[in-house]
Amino acid sequence: MTSSEPKVMIRGLHKYFGKNEVLKGIDCDIHTGEVVCVIGPSGSGKSTFLRCINCLEEPTAGTIKVDGNVMDAEAKNIDELREDVGMVFQQFNLFPHLSVIENITLAPVLRKRMNEDEAKKVGMELLARVGLADKADARPNSLSGGQKQRVAIARALAMRPGLMLFDEPTSALDPEMVGEVLDVMRQLAEEGMTMVVVTHEMGFARQVSSRVLFIDQGIIAEEGTPDEVFGNPQNPRTKSFLNKVLEA
Amino acid sequence: MTFIELLEQSLPLLIQGLKLTLELAFISLAIAMVLGILASLMGMSKNPILRGINSAFVAIIRGTPLLVQGFFIYFGISGLLNIRISAFLAGVIALSLNAGGYLSEIFRGGIQAVDPGQREAARSLGLSARQTTWRIIIPQAVRICIPSVVNQWCITIKDTSIISVIGLAELTKVGQQIIARTYRSFEVWIMVGVMYFVVIYLLTVLARVVEKKVSLDD
Repeated sequence: MTSSEPKVMIRGLHKYFGKNEVLKGIDCDIHTGEVVCVIGPSGSGKSTFLRCINCLEEPTAGTIKVDGNVMDAEAKNIDELREDVGMVFQQFNLFPHLSVIENITLAPVLRKRMNEDEAKKVGMELLARVGLADKADARPNSLSGGQKQRVAIARALAMRPGLMLFDEPTSALDPEMVGEVLDVMRQLAEEGMTMVVVTHEMGFARQVSSRVLFIDQGIIAEEGTPDEVFGNPQNPRTKSFLNKVLEA
Repeated sequence: MTFIELLEQSLPLLIQGLKLTLELAFISLAIAMVLGILASLMGMSKNPILRGINSAFVAIIRGTPLLVQGFFIYFGISGLLNIRISAFLAGVIALSLNAGGYLSEIFRGGIQAVDPGQREAARSLGLSARQTTWRIIIPQAVRICIPSVVNQWCITIKDTSIISVIGLAELTKVGQQIIARTYRSFEVWIMVGVMYFVVIYLLTVLARVVEKKVSLDD
């Protein structure tokens, strides 16, 4: 871990949906190069936590800074700030009216990061990297779930983000397709990408992450290295959660 | 008079009527599409006053018969303001308002039917709200809307016949006039019906081709 300014700094994060308090005060730093896996029971607030980082959810209270910039959905520079934070969704959310390569080049071109040719070249490189170079002109609806998610990762990477958020990226996949997506993520982690991954894949969290956050009932109930959290959990709630998911 | 003779005599008049029907429908629908887009934007606005105007508009259009709307505009408003408006103008106003109200609901429904994940994905990539709306939401909403919009076009084309009651010599009115002279109800209504049918049928065939072309399934 570096001692420099953290990539993401979260202080006093609270989030209400109506009267329901989903996040009850979260403080967390994420440093450049870290791979942070977020685990916890469903409904614990893990996804909300992740979605607050790029302001898809607006915090009720607290601040989130990425590279020292306050993330605020109403701020003028929010689009610019989001360009640096890639996100991969459980339901892929590919744009069905665009081809695979258009999905990837749309944002870099519209946001004027690249011209059309350069974006296409980068897009093809990214597709090759996720093993889908032959699908450039296909429509998303013709792809399998695993292929869709790999395209979604390539689409996010095309903006050359400094941080990638993964919101249960394998939860909507058939079991035989989970591996191909996790392989791409593993490769990304090895290349030094800063990643926050909400996941139910305990094997992945254990092998790949540099730090594990266990979120339960809206707070970080436990955090540590994978060995600490999985090997010797301190909080009884962590123990009981791990018992349940690892038994299954 | 044989059927062929009747047809020969009636067809030129009926085609005149059909022309007026199509003019009425085309102009009204063009206005209604614009009106529908504006009204649907008002309906989705953050401003409660704009939303209120939209829902009142839609409620009135839905809650009253087109026939009453036509009478109200042609006789009611012109009487109140003491102006004379042509039957054609009154017909266009009534049909545009009527179709505009229904279309605004269709457009709003189409936009709201686009998966919210699409907006989130676009925003997460850094696209602005405007870029997201125009590049991601609208293209998908249009595809969702096509069948319902075409349906509304068909309804409005046929609803022009209701406007015959304010004295506009469109297809249905011409049919009535021919019958008044010839007493050949059975044959003339068949001719009139076939003419409406052919127009609507061609429109639906065209719509199906377009729908297939822009379909999202490979």
